[in-house]
Amino acid sequence: MNNLNELTVRVGCLERRLPIVRTGNLERVPLVEFMGDSAFTNAAAQEMLALIPPQTQVLLTVVTNALPLTHELSDRSGIPYVCARKKRRTYMHEPLIQQVPSMSLGVTETLWLDGPHAARLTGQQVTIVQDVIASGGTAQALARLVERAGGTVSAYIAAFRRGAPPMAVRALQDLPTHL
Amino acid sequence: MNTFKVQVGAVTRDLPIVPVAPGVSVALFNMLGDTEVTEAAGRELARLLPADIDVLVTPEVKALSLAHVISRESGKPYIVIRKTQKPYMVDPVAREVVSITTGKPQLLVLDGFDVQKIRGRKVAIVDDVVSSGGTLHSIRQIIDEVGGEVAAVVAVFTEGQERPEVTALGHLPLFESDPTER
Repeated sequence: MNNLNELTVRVGCLERRLPIVRTGNLERVPLVEFMGDSAFTNAAAQEMLALIPPQTQVLLTVVTNALPLTHELSDRSGIPYVCARKKRRTYMHEPLIQQVPSMSLGVTETLWLDGPHAARLTGQQVTIVQDVIASGGTAQALARLVERAGGTVSAYIAAFRRGAPPMAVRALQDLPTHL
Repeated sequence: MNTFKVQVGAVTRDLPIVPVAPGVSVALFNMLGDTEVTEAAGRELARLLPADIDVLVTPEVKALSLAHVISRESGKPYIVIRKTQKPYMVDPVAREVVSITTGKPQLLVLDGFDVQKIRGRKVAIVDDVVSSGGTLHSIRQIIDEVGGEVAAVVAVFTEGQERPEVTALGHLPLFESDPTER
């Protein structure tokens, strides 16, 4: 039974009650937190292994919440991963800079991919990994980074999909859009 | 490019030596995207973790996967201290710190929701590299403020000065560099 402020989800043999929070554009969305929950992360990673296309050579994700999830997927699959940042770091060398299409009321985001990390995508089949794909804006920006680095996007995978993103997303389950 | 060789468990890496300030260079250790090093370090640090620790606390971003692995291996929960305040946080506790790798003031924020998981508990702080100790100092202040006890600090490397209070797998020296070189 869900109350108004929580949504209960089941991943593998684990159940979690996700708090429902208001985002910038005043939508009510369930908050998926892999950070701080290694058991939930492991359960999702185990289920998501089946979503990775076999030709995948590298996984690409973005900070922050999907990071432990992608690490766990990488360790379990043996496929290396690359992580884009949301801020410039002083040590970055010739980074690729990619704007995320604006989705919620005037909030824009920029992704930074350090040059040596971008080089790991060149000529590779890349699967994009996220915790949740909803509008698909971040996924599109990650795909642009793959193309600009000279790689090819094999698939978009996510623990959860919400709504109807513009690309084909392989997800474990859908989150409700009206809460 | 000059490099500095390090060993983490059975894994070795040649870290690039990069300038961070006039005359000062560091061996750049970045676990992000390095599954092998993160697993090796996390498993080793989980083994070195004192048995009486209740909870791990880590700053985002670079030590996040490390804390996940230590948590997975030790069975102890971990809490992430964020670098920005999120709209959904309840009564957040914040501190400012100046970081050596960014040179800018950096905010550290604990969600009030996590306070009860730290109060009265023995805490181990988890970080990738403890260098100037600025981040560590601010995290200690936050943990003190909410009534937790810092019982251990674990990191993959200490950097610059030796730090006997930190359980680390190795040490990174600071390097002098030609200030005109970039």
